[in-house]
Amino acid sequence: MSAPTSATEPLLSVRDLVQEFVVRGAGGTKGGVVQAVSGVSFDIMPGETLGIVGETGSGKSTLARAVLQAPRPKSGSVTFRGADLTRLRGTRLLAARRHMQFVWQDPFGSLDPKWRVRSIVEEPLIAYKDGDRAARRKRVDELLDLVGLDPERYASRHPRELSGGQAQRVAIARAVALNPSLLICDEAVSSLDVLIQAQVLNLFERLRRELGLSYLFIAHDLALVKQVSDRVGVMYLGMFCEVGPGELVYKQPLHPYTRALLDSIPSTEPGAGRATATIKGEPPSPIDPPSGCRFRTRCPRATDQCALEVPPPRELAPGHLVACHHPLTEPAPAEAGRAAQSETAASTAKAQG
Amino acid sequence: MLATPAPPPLPSLVDARRLRSQRIGRALRLWVPAGILIGLLGICFVLPLVVTLPSSTNGNIIYNNEAPFSPGHLLGTNVQGVDIFSQLVYGGQLTFEISLSVTLIGVVIGGTLGVAAAYFGGWADAVISRVLDILLAFPALVLALVIAEGLGPSELHLIWALAVFAIPAQGRVARGATLTVRGLSYMTAARLSGTRPWRIITRHVLPNILPGIVTFSLLGIGIVVIIEGAIDFLGYGIQLPQASWGSMITQGQNIESVQPEYVLIPSIALVITVVALNMLGDALRERWGVQ
Amino acid sequence: MSSLHTTDALLVVEDLRVSFAAGGREIRAVDGVSYQVDAGRTLAIIGESGSGKTVGCRAIMGLLPGTAAISGSARLRGTEMIGLSDSELRRHRGQDMAMIFQDPARSLNPTMRVGAQITEAITTHRKVSKSEARAQAIELLRLVRIPAAERRFHEYPHQLSGGMRQRIMIAMALACRPKLLIADEATTALDVTTQAQIMELLLELQAELGMGLILISHDLGLAASYADEVVVMYAGRIVEQAPAKRLFGAGGTVKMRYTRALLDAIPHLERPAHTDLPVVGGRPPDPTALPVGCSFAPRCPAVEDDCTAKEPALAEHAAGHRWACYHPCENGVSA
Repeated sequence: MSAPTSATEPLLSVRDLVQEFVVRGAGGTKGGVVQAVSGVSFDIMPGETLGIVGETGSGKSTLARAVLQAPRPKSGSVTFRGADLTRLRGTRLLAARRHMQFVWQDPFGSLDPKWRVRSIVEEPLIAYKDGDRAARRKRVDELLDLVGLDPERYASRHPRELSGGQAQRVAIARAVALNPSLLICDEAVSSLDVLIQAQVLNLFERLRRELGLSYLFIAHDLALVKQVSDRVGVMYLGMFCEVGPGELVYKQPLHPYTRALLDSIPSTEPGAGRATATIKGEPPSPIDPPSGCRFRTRCPRATDQCALEVPPPRELAPGHLVACHHPLTEPAPAEAGRAAQSETAASTAKAQG
Repeated sequence: MLATPAPPPLPSLVDARRLRSQRIGRALRLWVPAGILIGLLGICFVLPLVVTLPSSTNGNIIYNNEAPFSPGHLLGTNVQGVDIFSQLVYGGQLTFEISLSVTLIGVVIGGTLGVAAAYFGGWADAVISRVLDILLAFPALVLALVIAEGLGPSELHLIWALAVFAIPAQGRVARGATLTVRGLSYMTAARLSGTRPWRIITRHVLPNILPGIVTFSLLGIGIVVIIEGAIDFLGYGIQLPQASWGSMITQGQNIESVQPEYVLIPSIALVITVVALNMLGDALRERWGVQ
Repeated sequence: MSSLHTTDALLVVEDLRVSFAAGGREIRAVDGVSYQVDAGRTLAIIGESGSGKTVGCRAIMGLLPGTAAISGSARLRGTEMIGLSDSELRRHRGQDMAMIFQDPARSLNPTMRVGAQITEAITTHRKVSKSEARAQAIELLRLVRIPAAERRFHEYPHQLSGGMRQRIMIAMALACRPKLLIADEATTALDVTTQAQIMELLLELQAELGMGLILISHDLGLAASYADEVVVMYAGRIVEQAPAKRLFGAGGTVKMRYTRALLDAIPHLERPAHTDLPVVGGRPPDPTALPVGCSFAPRCPAVEDDCTAKEPALAEHAAGHRWACYHPCENGVSA
C-alpha cells in the first residue's frame, strides 16, 4: 500500500511483510499459528513521519519489530537505505541497521538498571567504535543536552533515580547517538503522564526538525498519531485498512473501521459530541481470522462480497488508500446490516470455538 | 481574589516514631546476621592466629571429660581429652572452607553453564539443561556419598562430591535468571546498539542476575553445611582426628548420655550459622528487590 | 450538586486524608479532599499518577493496607465508612459500594471459571442456594450484555478478550446491586472502541439501577464525555471542581492553571500536525516533600509571589465551580 513513488527513493520500503508466531493452546483455547502481520506494505520517505494506529491485536508492535528484524519476519522484504535487511546477517546486518533505532514503550525496561546514564547513552558509540574516549564523553554530553537533560546532574545517575519522562529522554538520547535516519517509536509516550507526554512529543518534533529524522510512530491513540505524523495508517488484525495524509484520514475517513475509531474517541473539544460505540462485538481471534475482509464481522456495511474476497487497497484520493469493498464514499450497501448480523453471530462463534 | 484565608497546613498523620522504627528494623535485619557471620568467621579463622589454643587433635587423656568452663578448657574436653573449643574453632574452619568452596565452584561452573544455556538457547540450552537435569535428579546425598566413597575420604574429595550437587542447582538458578533478563527490552536495546554477545553477557546479564545468585548462594551455603554434616554422620566424610561440626555431632551421638554438650555445642553453632545465612539472604533480597 | 449537603447525596466525603509510611518517610497521598456523589449521577476524579485519586477511593472501600493512616469522613448513605472494621466493611462492600479496577486480567482468578467467580461474589453477600446463585449469575452476564451467557459461564478468564473480562468484573461488582460503583481506571487498559462500549454499558446500568458512579481516570476526555461533575486532583489535593459542562464544551471556563495545562497538553484531532504542544515543564512534586504554598507553583507558567507563600484554598468562586488558584485563567484560556 505505498504512495506513488516520488523522485527521491524511499528511506524505508516494506513489501508484503508477514510475521507469525506459534501460540500454545491453554485450557479451552485452540493452539495454533497466529499471523500477526499479514502482508503489509508501505514506504517512508526521507524526513517523513508515518504513524500507525491500531488496537490490541492489530499487529502494529509486531510489525515494528519485524521491520527491525528482531525477530525476523517470516516473509516479505524490508529495504532500508537501499539494502534488504531480511537478507543480511551478522555484522552486515548490524552495519545496515545502524541508522535505524528504536524507542520502547516502557522507559525503564529499555534501560539497564545497573548502568549509569552516561554508559547507557555511550553504549552505541562504543559498539560502533565511534571516536575515542574523550570524543565519546563529549558526544554523550551533547546528546543529553539535546534531549533536555543537564549532563552535570544526570549523567551519573541510575535509571531508578529518574522519572518516567527523564528515563524516556535517556532512551531517546541513546537512540539518536549514532545519527540514525529512521526512528521507530513503539508506544513511546503511552506510559507517560499527560504533561510529561507533551514534553516528550515536543522533543520528538524538535529532533525531527533539527536532525531531519524520519519516524515510524506507532500508537493506539489516533489523536496522538495524527499530531506527530504526515501520513497515518490504520491497522486491523494484521492488515492496513486505510493509509493517507493525517488530515484526510481524520476529516474524510474512507474505511468503516476508521470511522468507528473516530466515533469512539472521547474528546474535550468544545462542542464535541459524546463518544459512541458504533461497532459492536469483540475483535475476532487472530488465530482464526474471518475470511475475506477481516473487519466484516463487526462492520455495519458488510455484504456477502466481503466474506469472499480480501479487499485490495485502492487509491481513492491522491495519497489516500483504503482496503474496503464499500468505502465511506459510497452510500451504505442495501444488503448490509442484515448480512453483517448473521455473519457476526456465525463467525464470532467460529472464531471463539 | 480569595476572600477566605488559606487553611493552616495539615498536621502529619504518621507517627514519627513509627517511621524511625521502620528504618531501624531494616538496618538491624541486615547487620545482625551479617555481624553474627563475621563474628563466627572471625572466631574460626582469626582467633587461632592471635591466641594459642590447645590442640584440636591430640589430647591428654588425663584431662578427659572435663566439664565446660574448666580452667584452660573453655568448653571442656571430650573423652580423649581433646579440647572441645579448639575442635569447634578448627572444625568451623573446615566447615566453612568446605561449604564456601563448594558454593564457589557451583557458582562458577554451574553459573557459566546456566548463563550460556539461557543466552544462546538452541542446542546448547538443550544439552546443558539435560545434563543439569540428570545431575539434579539424583538425590543429593546419595550422589555425594557415592563419590565420596569412590574417591576416598578427604576434604578435597568431599568438596568435589558436594560440588556435583551444587553445580546443577546454581546452574538452574542462573539459567532461570538469565532467561528472565534476556527478554527485557534493554537487552534488545543493547543488541540494537551493536554490542557484541560477549559484552552483553558480561556487562548486562551478569550484573543483573548477580543479586539473585548471591541470595541463593547464601541459602546454599547453609544447605551444603548440613549435607556435609550428614555425610560425616554416615562415616564418609571427615575422619578422625580431624573434625568438622558435622563429624563432631556424629561422634557426639555415641557419647551423648555421658557428655551431651558434645552434640549440643556444634549443633548450636550449626543452627546459628544457617539461620544467620538465611536471615542475611532475606535481608539482601529485601534490599535488592530480588524475586 | 453545587452545595455541599443535599439530601440526595449518596456519598459525602469530607476532609479525607491518607498518609503512608514507606522507606522511613511519610507520603501524604491524600491531603484533605471533600466531594459528593448523588444517586444516578457520575463524578469523574481526574489526576495524573501520584495525585491521590486512587488512594482516596480505596480508603473509602477499605482496601488500603494496614499501614495507611486515614482520617476524615466518608458517609455512604449516612453511614460512616472510615474506621469500620474489616467485617463491617465486608457487609457494605458489594451491597452498598463496589469497585472495578484497571486490569481485569489481574483482578480475576485465572484458575477459576468466570461463572464460579460471579456466583462466589453473590453468595458472599446473600444467602441463596447454589442453583439460585447460578441463575442470578447468568442473569448478570446478560445484564452486562455478554452474548451466549450460558456458555461463557463455564469459561476461564484467559479465554475471554479484555473487554469481556471487564464486563465480567462489572458483573461481579453488580452482583448485589450496589448503590455506588467506583471505576478505577477501568477502561484505561482497553482499546478505545471497547472503552466506548464499556462506558455505554456503565451508563445504561447506571440509569437502570439508579447507581452513583465514580470514574477515576487520567483521561480528561473520558470526563468530558461521560461525567456530570468533575474533580481535578494534584498532589493529593483537589484543585478544581465543577460540573462537566462548565469545564468542557463550548465556552468552557477552566480556571485552575493545572487543569488548563492538562487540557492544552492533550493532542486533539483538530490540531494540525507537527505543531508544538503547549507544555508545562517539570514534574509532579515529591509526595514526601510537598512544597510550601501551591503545589503546582513550581511548574505554573503564571506563578507569582503569593503562590509560593501560602497554599490557596479550594473555594467556590462561581456557582458550582470551585478552584484553588490565586491567579486563575481568564475566559478559559491561559493568560
